[in-house]
Amino acid sequence: MSGQKNSRARGLAIFLLVLPLFLFLISLGIGSYGISPRGLFTAVLSVISPDSHPGVPAAYRDILLRIRLPRVLLAMAVGAALSVSGASLQALFKNPLVNEYILGISSGAAFGAALSLVFLGRAFPPQVAGFIFAVVAVGAVLLISGKGESHFISLLLTGIIVTAFFSALLSLVEFFASPYVLQALFFWLMGSLSLASWMDLYISLPLIAVGLVILYLLRWRLNVLSMSDEEARSLGVNVLREKILVIAATTLITAAATAIVGIIGWLGFIVPHLVRMMFGADNRRVVPLSAALGASLMMIADDIIRGVSSFEIPIGIFTSLVGIPIFLVLLKKTRKVWL
Amino acid sequence: MSVRVAGLKFAYPKFSLRVEGLAFETAKVTAIVGPNGAGKTTLLKCIGAVLPIPKGSVSVNGRDLAALKSRERARLVCYVPQEHDTTFNYTVSDFVLMGRAAYISPFALPSHEDAGSAAEALDFVGLSNYTDRAISELSSGERRLVLIARALAQQSDILLMDEPTTFLDPKHETELFQLIRKLAVERMKTILVTLHSLEMAVQHSDQMVFMKGGEVVAHGKSAEIFEDSLLERVYDMKMKVVDWEGRKIVLR
Repeated sequence: MSGQKNSRARGLAIFLLVLPLFLFLISLGIGSYGISPRGLFTAVLSVISPDSHPGVPAAYRDILLRIRLPRVLLAMAVGAALSVSGASLQALFKNPLVNEYILGISSGAAFGAALSLVFLGRAFPPQVAGFIFAVVAVGAVLLISGKGESHFISLLLTGIIVTAFFSALLSLVEFFASPYVLQALFFWLMGSLSLASWMDLYISLPLIAVGLVILYLLRWRLNVLSMSDEEARSLGVNVLREKILVIAATTLITAAATAIVGIIGWLGFIVPHLVRMMFGADNRRVVPLSAALGASLMMIADDIIRGVSSFEIPIGIFTSLVGIPIFLVLLKKTRKVWL
Repeated sequence: MSVRVAGLKFAYPKFSLRVEGLAFETAKVTAIVGPNGAGKTTLLKCIGAVLPIPKGSVSVNGRDLAALKSRERARLVCYVPQEHDTTFNYTVSDFVLMGRAAYISPFALPSHEDAGSAAEALDFVGLSNYTDRAISELSSGERRLVLIARALAQQSDILLMDEPTTFLDPKHETELFQLIRKLAVERMKTILVTLHSLEMAVQHSDQMVFMKGGEVVAHGKSAEIFEDSLLERVYDMKMKVVDWEGRKIVLR
């Protein structure tokens, strides 16, 4: 029975790991200008070897290269980044309710990126200021909340206050923004993939990749770090050093993602829970499978947004609308013991 | 491995621990007893470097524990907490495997040898059939055994066990002490145990340390120092030790 269960879990894990690649190809064909699989195939071939397929419409190539490819790549990267970030932070803080938003990382990054966009323009990468203020925000939350038995309550309250503070600063930035920039800011803050460009990807993708690789390598260590600090120390872990490393990596990927797509809520919260429900709590499985499931869900969400209607709902709103009911169901189902 | 504690001082806002000198020898079991708030757990945590010591030293075979890196220290000393309250529901084998953290680089995964050490530790405590069980499904007694298995997987020579028998019924309490004795004798571990049960402490330990108000009141061979006057002084109540079939019983 146990063997059957294990082989089913292994099959499901392989499916989840392959799913993003499959969705990646499908997503390239979805949008207001639909491209059939055959058209997509010939368009890809014409990109690789323009002379071999002269009959392929130039619009196909343009849509594929300039619009769809950066957008789908970004959806994949952001989905994986936020999900792995959530899984890592939940393990590190020994609490399944922690995520980058509660720790102030998202609001710090959003403020930094907005500040950069308004005062320095698009020429200067918003990821830099996003990362700096994300570090400031999470640093403030951790320093002010301190330690103790009621640490999570303190962390939660401090997170709310720091998030409110950075939201106020963000409003201040919006106040000084020109009407045109303000409109772009407003749309971006709701979470949007529609502005994805290769320039954004050139900067954010390597940062996300670095953070993901660090967290992937630390995945077993996250199990040990999810013990109490005293236990982890007694087990031979340099708790402070390794906590800083995990927080730095999660802050880096969240800031890199937020700087180009705005605040995408709930994905980093829910995906690790879904993975734990299916595969157990071991972070050796939770981290890679969260990356795969997060990337897949983000692509599916974006496909629905692009495919269903002619106008685009910001993806941050969509993930929140879908994510909150899922979270409530999870909360009711799992209650005290989190898988 | 012999452990020496010298001039140890540690303070919380409303409590301070002061220990002039203590020594613990290889393959011996030491019971640390005293009323609530005496400083037993704090002493154990200071010895295990779970709490940083502002003054004094704890040395193992002459090596100052505070000067060692986390990994080196964990290979020498292991602190076994009273109870484990995990947020995430790991399987027993995943949990015991964490005992190998001191041997694995932060960026690496456990090897087959590490998995073998964890399996062997589970076998030693009699839980080899529990590998795939979730921690939350275990009884208190089984959870204690899993904590001890994790400590065994850590392969440190000094085990510091904080009230390992709390909430256990008499049968499991006795079995646990038999296991502790087996660890000391067969694995040559130096074992320190904090306890509330005085009868269990005197019966199963080689040495006892009596604490009160953050200080060591008395220490020595269990059979020699376990007397009415000392118990009354430590617990501030009338107590009498009687011998019954070679065992010491405390009347109060």
